[in-house]
Parts: sequence; structure tokens; C-alpha cells
Amino acid sequence: MHGKTVKDLKHNPWFLTGLSLTGFFFVLAMVGPWVAPFSPWDISFNPISPPDGKHLLGVNDGGQDILSELLYALRNTITFGLLSGCTALVSGVLTGVLSGWFGGLLDAVLMRIADILLAIPAIMILILTAAVFRPSPAFLALILASITWPTISKAIRAQTLTLKNSLHVKAAFQMGAGSWYIIRHHLLPEMFPLYLIGFAAKIRMAMFMEASLAFLGLFDPSRKSLGMMISYALNYYYLDIWWNWLMPPILCLSLVIMAITFLAISLEDVLDPRLREAVMEKTP
Amino acid sequence: MRSEIKSLEIKNLDVVYGNGGHAIQALENVHLKMVGGQCLALVGESGSGKTTFGKACLGLLPESTRIRGSIYLNSEKIPYEDKKTLQEIRWKKIAMAFQNGAATLNPSHRIINQVAEPLIEHGIENKTGARVRAAKALEKMGIRSDAHRRYPHQFSGGQAQRIQLAMAMILDPDVLILDEPTSALDALSKGLVHRVIAEKKSRGKVIVLITHDLEFALKSADTMAVLYLGQIMEKLPAQQMFSNPLHPYTLALKRSYPTMNGARDLGGIRGDAFYRTVHQHGHGDEKDSPHSHIQVPESSHKDGHAPPTGCLFQERCTQAIETCRHGHIAFEKVEDHDVRCIRRGIVTMLDLNGIKKKYGSAAALHPINLNVKAGEIFSLVGETGSGKTTLAMIAAGVLYPDAGTRFFEDRDMDNWIKKDYKSLAGKIGVIYQNPAESISHRFTVREIVAEPLKIHKVFKDKEEKEKRVKACLADVHLSTDNAFLERYPHELNMGALQRICIARALVLDPSLLIADEPTSSLDPSVQAKVLKLLLDLQIKRGLTMLFVSHDMGLVRKISDRIGVMFQGQMVETGPASTVLEQPCHPYTRLLIQSARGEFSSEMSEENRTANTEGCSFASRCPHRQDLCTIKTPSLRSLGMAQVACHFPLGAKDPGP
Repeated sequence: MHGKTVKDLKHNPWFLTGLSLTGFFFVLAMVGPWVAPFSPWDISFNPISPPDGKHLLGVNDGGQDILSELLYALRNTITFGLLSGCTALVSGVLTGVLSGWFGGLLDAVLMRIADILLAIPAIMILILTAAVFRPSPAFLALILASITWPTISKAIRAQTLTLKNSLHVKAAFQMGAGSWYIIRHHLLPEMFPLYLIGFAAKIRMAMFMEASLAFLGLFDPSRKSLGMMISYALNYYYLDIWWNWLMPPILCLSLVIMAITFLAISLEDVLDPRLREAVMEKTP
Repeated sequence: MRSEIKSLEIKNLDVVYGNGGHAIQALENVHLKMVGGQCLALVGESGSGKTTFGKACLGLLPESTRIRGSIYLNSEKIPYEDKKTLQEIRWKKIAMAFQNGAATLNPSHRIINQVAEPLIEHGIENKTGARVRAAKALEKMGIRSDAHRRYPHQFSGGQAQRIQLAMAMILDPDVLILDEPTSALDALSKGLVHRVIAEKKSRGKVIVLITHDLEFALKSADTMAVLYLGQIMEKLPAQQMFSNPLHPYTLALKRSYPTMNGARDLGGIRGDAFYRTVHQHGHGDEKDSPHSHIQVPESSHKDGHAPPTGCLFQERCTQAIETCRHGHIAFEKVEDHDVRCIRRGIVTMLDLNGIKKKYGSAAALHPINLNVKAGEIFSLVGETGSGKTTLAMIAAGVLYPDAGTRFFEDRDMDNWIKKDYKSLAGKIGVIYQNPAESISHRFTVREIVAEPLKIHKVFKDKEEKEKRVKACLADVHLSTDNAFLERYPHELNMGALQRICIARALVLDPSLLIADEPTSSLDPSVQAKVLKLLLDLQIKRGLTMLFVSHDMGLVRKISDRIGVMFQGQMVETGPASTVLEQPCHPYTRLLIQSARGEFSSEMSEENRTANTEGCSFASRCPHRQDLCTIKTPSLRSLGMAQVACHFPLGAKDPGP
């Protein structure tokens, strides 16, 4: 990365907000199990009690500490997002670059698969899989990734095709560089901003999806999730619990997604403003 | 005077000055035959043995000089041991006008007496008669009679030189050796000398003209012998000196010479002329590096000694190969020249034949030929869309022609690309029109220049790699400190970027450099710098260059040869001076006129109509005739150029 970029980023408010928020939630998710005051599965407390000194966010209907539950849920949601986002990114970038650079049959096959996947609504597949097969959350994350990679792939492929005709790639080819050299040194680094955008979009989508599935109750009920917390809290909306039970998971989910968006936008901005406009339309 | 044909023949002449370790080989194995009515010009750099040759013919070399071989005057061997006969022959049969006239004249005698002296010496005339003849001779050389009684120091250098000439010719010798007769003369006095030579030639005399004035030699001489370190490198018809030199040294010499027709910036010859010590046997078989292409010549001969074995010119030659370093280089006949070169003269670096290329249905190149010789700068000119870049990229091996053959260094390129593209790529450097786009903006300066090294895995050692990168940057006059090496392209200006691109193109030490409009994105002052740089590098590294440009003014400054392209066809090609000064194709003339700012509406682009038959330029051509719209003209020779036109400009016999 350019030395100048780092300097630019230091003065970018979006970046700083995004970074501190993401960092905060990430650290919270990592250390959650150790800082949680109680086990989230401990049902020995007084159900539906408002916050006090012992339970900072109160206790839920099952007699569990809401703060502890929140910390575990955050960890699950972020892990799900990262796993799905990373997998989608890696497969999207690889297929995109390969089909863009080599073209021909490989390109035709990969892009037809991508087209088919793009036509399938992800949420339907996930609901069906989760309901019928009851797989582990990690497996669901991978299934989600296997449906969401085409958008990244398409954007990367389009960019690869453009880069393929750019003079510096042609020059490298003239110098005798092989495909792998060009992909590694000219194509992949060049598209760095594109990954960030794709990555951020996929993580956001995956986390939201995880929350939705949990909200619908498609996960193992004992697994803590922000979506499930919201869903349970909604059952008691007539009680005065919205600020200590409903609000925290909603806030956490929104803030995490926002933070990642801030980060992506500011990085794009600094790394390559031209690319951003070109790609924004391609990534939903 | 004898009636038979006068001649001077030199057989295997060897001259060695001094002895022991400091003996200097001044001439080696010189073999020349001249007959009456002809003028032979001996040309070469200073120290090449030109004057030694003249003195040897007259037997004027110092006693200690070792001379081998024999010289025949009118088929009779000159007996140099026999002082008396020699004295008789000298001046009478064979005379020499020395260089630097003022210094060779006796300062204490009036010039009229000095000129008359040989007449008296040889007992041909008495004093009075001799003076009369001397006065005549002096007047003929443009020295007025009122100056005849002056002393040499009262004359200018040019006049002294003319007095020398008068003296040499006073006995009307059969063989006249003129050593730099024009070096101190202005252009008008040169005409006088030229007339004298022409007159002597018409009277069947043998003239040996020793000169470095190539243009004068071209006008006056019939044959030229190019001397380098005592060896004749090439013997060629004088007319071909500028148009068709075959030895790399002849080409380099030609390039160093300022002529009136050529507008190309003067080149030089890389390295310096060595002096030659006599061969010491057993010293010659040193182990050489396996490089087939000789690098910059500083390395092994810093002490100024000529190479001990092989070709004398190898270190400065732009096309030297391994075999040039060893063994005897024979003097052989190539075309109508005699060339002392193992590669039979300048080789063809790039040879494209019948190249066709189509983009979709539009033909970008009609069958087109292109050949570029080693060490020359060939320029492709023409308007935008004429196929210049396509042709250049086909030459670079990155585009594939639809038809035709490509040869690079005598190897089939298509085959080479299939088998081992990388090794071919290392031999061709390309500079692109837009420097900013031709480099990745994510690379630092160091990474950019080192990229070819990385791709070709040239150095395993990082320090060596760094050294090479820095050397290349220094070559293009850029900074080599670390702060600069760490910079990114967007922090640099266009001129610096293009120089970085040049450094990158040169870092693998290619033998062919293809420059596609390398300066069109630069402003004039930067353009001037970059061009100067390219020319310097061309001389220093002996690069062959294919230069693509639409700028006639620029091409004029750098090209050895020019190819003019129009709609995918080569309409005219030839030596730069010929093409630019006497364009044969109307399109070439249009380009030159437009470059001068003389725009003609008749021949402009708008006037163009599509025509499938006949000459593609016909609709814009002011000289078109019926034939032009029916038959497509093919390239044919016209003087030194080749032109594809039915009715070329300035041709004596219009039409095929």
C-alpha cells in the first residue's frame, strides 16, 4: 500500500469512526466469554427483571443475564459474517480473475454458474437448508458464501478485462511475464479496493442474514444470536423492556454493519476514488 | 613519361613503429591496388594509420620503423633500400602533399623557391625556368603572384596547404598522395582542390586522398578505403559511403560526420580508438564471459590497448558476437564492397516479410516488408491510423500477424515465440507512448525498473540487482538515491516517468529497442532531453532502434533510415536524408510540407474517398493519372530509396 495512503487515512473521519467501532466490537466479540459476568445459559436468575447493579442489562424471560447473552451473540454473529465473507471473497476473486484473464471455456462455464446463482434468492435457500437439514452455523455460512460469490466474481472479472488491456499489463506481457506473474503482481494488487468493497458487502449481508435466520428461529435455540434475542424480546414488547432487552441487540447489529460500511467507504475513497464509482453499480 | 597505365599497388604492407613492448602496429596487411584515372580515399579516425600509409609509399618513415610488404609503382617494385633511385622516384613519380602545410614548409625560404626546388633538384629546369613554372603552379592553386615572394609564416593555414599542393604537383607525378588537403580549407577552396583532383584523374594519374572529410571524399574519390587501427575495414565505391555502408565502423564513421543533406543529429562511435601494440603471442586465449552480446566497452580495455585477438573493432562494434573475439577476420567480398567482418558487414536485425494484419474486416496492414539493420535507427512515419504501431508491435512480438514471416537476428520469430517467448522478450525493449499508463501505479521506481529482472530472474543476489537498477537509472540521468527509488509514479512528472520507462526497457540490455511515439506525451523541452538521451544511449549501447513517430521534424533529427506508411502500406523507404530531401512519393512530400506548416487543402484527409482498386493515396494525390486508380503500385527501387508510386516525383522515366 502506498505510504501516502496511510497518512491520508489518519485524517479521514469515516475511517477513524469505522475503525474504532469495528475494533471495539471485534475485541468485544473476541474477549466476550471472558468478560461476561455470567454464563448466558445460566437460568438461575429472576426472570424479566430490570437492570440493577448485578445485571447491567437486566434478566430475560428465561432467567438469563442479558449482557452475557449479548456478548455471546455478538461473537456468533461476527464469526458467521467473517467466515461467510472471507469464503465468498476468496472464491469470487479467484473465479473472477481466472475467467477474466484466461477467458474461453473456463470463463463461459464459471460465468454461467454465476448467472444461475445470481438468479436464486439467497434467503430462500438458507431458510430451506436450515429448516430441512438443520446444519451447523458454519456450514450455513459456507452455503451463504457459495451463493453470494458471483457478484464479487463479476466485478473482479470486469475489472480484470479492463486491466488486461491496460498498457502496464501489456508491457509486463511484452517483457516476458507469465500469467501467474501478471495475476499476482499486476491484477490482484490493482483490484485491492474492489475486494474491500466486496468483502464489506458480503460481511454485512452475512451478519444480517444470520440475524434474520435466528430471528426466524431456524438455529439451535440454545445458540446465542442477536436475531434470536430480538425475536424473544419482541414477545414481551408490551412490557417496559425495550430499552434494556430489545435495544442492545438491535443497536449492536446496526453499529457493526455501519462500522464496516464506514471502513469500506473510506478505504475505497482513499485507495482509488475512480474505481469506486465504477464498482458501486456492480456490487449490490 | 610512360604511356602505359599508371598504377600503384600495395601488397601486404605492415608497418610497426618502435620496438619491444611499446612497439605500435600502425598498419597491418594493407592490400590495395589503384589504377590511373582513379582516386582512392583513405578515411578513418585519427591514429588509424592514414598518414603512415602515405609516408610509407614515399619511403619517408623513420629508420627504426619495421616495414614489411612491397609497393609497386607502375608494376615495378619501389626499391626503398636504394636511396638514389628512391630519390629519383620521389616527387617525380610519386609525390605527397602533407597535412598541416605551414609546418612542413621551410620557414626560411620564400615559397616560390620552395615550390621550384624539386624542379631544380631533379635537373628538369634551370632556376629561372623553374621559377616560372612554380609561379604558374601557384597561381593555379589560387596564390596570387604578388604573394609568391613571401615567407610561409605570412600565409594562412589554407594558403599554406594550397602551396603544399602546388609543390607536390610541380613535377606532375604519376601518383599523387594528398594528406588532408582540405582540412584547413573553406568550402570554396575545397572546390579548387576538387577541380585539381578531377583534372589529374582525367589525365590518368593515380590519386590517393587521405582525409577525414567524408563529403569531400564522396565528391572526389571513386573508391573509399576505411582504415581502422591500421587495418582496412571496408573498401567500397565512394558513392555508397552514405547510402550503403556495410561495415559497422563505416556506418559509425558516417554517422559522426556532419553533412548538408542529413539532418540527423551527429552520433559518435562508442568508446575511444585504441592504439595498437604488436601482438604478443600466447596472450590471446583469455576466457571470456559467455555473453554473446558485448556490453559497454569499458571493461577489459581500459588501458587503451586494442583487442589482442579477433576483430579490432569488436569492443566498439554494435553487433559483435563471441566469434568476433577470436581468430582471423578475413577481408571478403560482400556485394561490391570488400568487408573485413566475420558477420559479412552489418547484419539485419529484424526482417519482416509480407506481413498482413486485419482487425475485424478492416485491414490494418497490407502485405508490408520491414527490415532493420543492426545499430541503426529506423523510423516509421505516417499519419495516425496508418498502421505504424501495429507494425511495431508485430515487430516486438506481442501482436501476431495474419500472414507473413518474421525474423529476428536470423531466427524465425513465430517459432521462437512458441518455444521460448521469454528469451525473445529479453532481447527486445519497448517504450510506449504513454509512460504513466505503461507502468503500474502500485510499483515504486525501484520495482518498475527491476520488473524485467524479476520476470527473467536474472539476479539471485539482491545487491547485484540493485546495482543494475541504479546503473540503468544513472544511464537515463535519474537520481539513484533510496528516497527516489521508493517513490511512486504519481509523484513524478512525465519526463521522469518516460525516462524510467526507458531504463526499464534497457535493464535487460536488449539488442532492439522499439519506441512507439516515446515523446508525444512530453512537452518540447522534456522531449528534447529524452531524445538526446535516447541518441546517447543508442551510441553507448549500440542499440538498434525502431522508432515510431508522426513527427517529421523529430524523425529528421534521429533517423538513419525512414519508412513512410500510408494506410497499412509502406509507400516509401530509404536513407533518411534521401527521403526527407528528395521525397519520391507524393504522400511523403505532403507529410514534409505539412510538417513545415504548408497545408494543402487538396491533399487533405477530407478529400478522401474510399477506393478499393489502385493506389490508396490516389484520391488525395495531385499527380494522379488514370493508371493510379486501376493498378496498385508496388514498391520499386528509385535511386537509394524504394517507392510505391506509378509516377514518383523527380523520376526521369515516369510510369512503369
